[in-house]
Amino acid sequence: MSKTSRFKTFRTMIGRFKKEEEYGKNLTPIDSDYYASSAFGAFRAAFKDKWSYMWYTVSHPMDGYYWIRHRSRGSVPLAIFMVVLFSFSFTANRLLASFVVNELDPRSVDSYYELLAVLFFFVLLCTSNWSVTCLMSGEGRFKDIIIAIGYATLPITIVLNVATVVSQVVADNEVALYFMLLVLGISYGAIMMLIGIMQVHNYTLGKTLITLFLTVLALLIIIFLIVLLFNMLSMVYHFFRSIYTELLFRT
Amino acid sequence: MKYHRSLSLILATLIAAFSFAGAMPVHAGESGLPYATYNYDFREYIRFTPAAYIPDGIIRGERFTYGGESIGRFVTPQDISRSPFGDLYIADTGNNRIIVLDNTLENCINIIDSFVNEGVVDTFRQPHGVCVSQRGWIYIADSGNNRIVVLDQDGDLVKIVANPRSESLDENFVFIPLKVTVDYADRIYCTAQFMLEGLMVFDDSGEFSSFFGTINVTITTWEMFWVRISTREARQNQRLFIPTEFTGIDIDPGGFVYASNIDNTGEQGVRRLNPRGEDVMKKGENGNVGGDLWTLGLGELAGPSQFTDVVYRVNGIYSALDRRRGRIFTYDHEGNILYIFGGLGTQEGTFNLPVSIEYMNDKLMVLDAARAEIVTFRTTEYGRLINEAVSLRFDGNEAQAVSLWERVIELNEHNELANTGLGKAYLTAGDNEMAAKYLKLGMNREYYSIAFRRYRNEILREHANTGLTVAATLVVAFLVYKRIRKKRKAKDDDDGGFSVE
Repeated sequence: MSKTSRFKTFRTMIGRFKKEEEYGKNLTPIDSDYYASSAFGAFRAAFKDKWSYMWYTVSHPMDGYYWIRHRSRGSVPLAIFMVVLFSFSFTANRLLASFVVNELDPRSVDSYYELLAVLFFFVLLCTSNWSVTCLMSGEGRFKDIIIAIGYATLPITIVLNVATVVSQVVADNEVALYFMLLVLGISYGAIMMLIGIMQVHNYTLGKTLITLFLTVLALLIIIFLIVLLFNMLSMVYHFFRSIYTELLFRT
Repeated sequence: MKYHRSLSLILATLIAAFSFAGAMPVHAGESGLPYATYNYDFREYIRFTPAAYIPDGIIRGERFTYGGESIGRFVTPQDISRSPFGDLYIADTGNNRIIVLDNTLENCINIIDSFVNEGVVDTFRQPHGVCVSQRGWIYIADSGNNRIVVLDQDGDLVKIVANPRSESLDENFVFIPLKVTVDYADRIYCTAQFMLEGLMVFDDSGEFSSFFGTINVTITTWEMFWVRISTREARQNQRLFIPTEFTGIDIDPGGFVYASNIDNTGEQGVRRLNPRGEDVMKKGENGNVGGDLWTLGLGELAGPSQFTDVVYRVNGIYSALDRRRGRIFTYDHEGNILYIFGGLGTQEGTFNLPVSIEYMNDKLMVLDAARAEIVTFRTTEYGRLINEAVSLRFDGNEAQAVSLWERVIELNEHNELANTGLGKAYLTAGDNEMAAKYLKLGMNREYYSIAFRRYRNEILREHANTGLTVAATLVVAFLVYKRIRKKRKAKDDDDGGFSVE
């Protein structure tokens, strides 16, 4: 099958959607005949598609996130993998960035706890956003929110690693370059996340900002509830434990 | 192995963190000294170092005779002071007298217990402080008599400073001078009991001129908030925001007054006051000249250091005496801690109630009021090297200090001052690689950055030819490859590869 005919099939597949031109330009559609010959081949095809679509989302967030919601082009495992990668890059940056820009005590950096913290915060953010947008007629599903936030960490991950490498050669007054890189990457990630949430829920920008504010509130409430729950549980535990010890001593 | 070592390091720091007061004897036992010598590194961890000063005997009153008679033991002495002529003056407070020892500290050369005041023999009552001016006059803070007595070299009365009156003083203010010092212009600086406005300054005629170096009270926004919302009744029961008192004073040859004070935040226990009374102290890397950085824990040994006296030594080096844990903190002119040693206890070299510190003949002397004795310390090689190297740097002869710093690193490779000193010397000498190495070990980011940039540019310049040649070759190779590929592809298409619809 030639290149052009592949493209044609693809066009008819999504032909009824408005944004087809932009969407189709940079993508290689799945050639099921070619790839589906084995289970691994199918997996590889799916992965390749999701992977290239993630990069498409990074470069075209408006468009990319729209189709993630409406065509399920995103992948939850990939989003979680990206968050894990972000966590490791974050730790690596703290640990390996050169002495010129980094005065952290390496003994205070622990990749395991940082991974746990990042994953916990990620789940918390997704949950609180989901619980807010559910009530505010957001169209996104939970998995869309996970993908929206997970993919948005990709530019930050890249920039963190680039900055770690760059830090090895900068010195003196070039340090500003390192921090500029970081600021640019993090801002791009933040903008991506904003657009992601906006597109996934089909919100306007104003409404997105309002929901984000409410998301932070919900996040605090969830943390409060978790602390409360653990406190209560430990009280119950200690109550039964004291009964147990009391019985033990009485008999 | 590496993991193991880092684990034990963490464990060691943890143990030190939780029982820092109790952990000292463990290390002290190794050196045979009753105290540990340590310093704080860049990350504010405790680093134990070789001893900088070791005990060098105890001076008690019983040892001395004057005029054929034993002078007897001191009773609650409160102050020692070195005269510009090398003698040591001791305010033997409980015996109402001043004792003068000669430079060797072997002989008592004078006892001042009375003077002639308007034809009548006058005596002291509880003299708390003593000081000798550059012209040899003796200034005695006669606390029990609410006055400062000034005597000349022969013990004749020059003047009496008493009963200061001023608009800024309370009507019924009772003047109880404690520590006293005098500058080159015969201005008297003294600390007084219950005097929170700062040091009191008297001009050469003995008139009260002003307060000096007033410590401002700092109130945090949070405290301000609580004061604002509390009721009048509640406010009356809250603690007052009052400045801290000065506890000890000394003066350097340039006329700058070094004054110790008790800072409950543990940030600044020593002030360096310029002639206008402003604090011009340099506080070093961590912005702290308040003694111990680790002040956690429970019990009476916890809490920030309480500096009770300070002595200006030479070349910008000064030592402050902490009465809470009996430690001596020595700083250089930039506010870096050089070494910390000393402790409370009953062995030789420890204190019970340290009140005053003095520096003489390269020895540190600490007056213990409760045991009524002077504990002396002499330098070890380690302490002497640091003192000399820091002095050279103070004079701007950093290059000469290299051999000293090298020896210091042999004795203690964690010494960041030594590493920085070596690094700076290498930087001046143009050896940027070594400079970067040592400046990193010395945790000096600013200079490391400079050294690293020079080193990097050096390498770039050195390999510029090779690098550019390789880059050019690669570009050419890529272009050629691309062209060949294009040709081959065109040929393939001609041969009927994938057909285009």
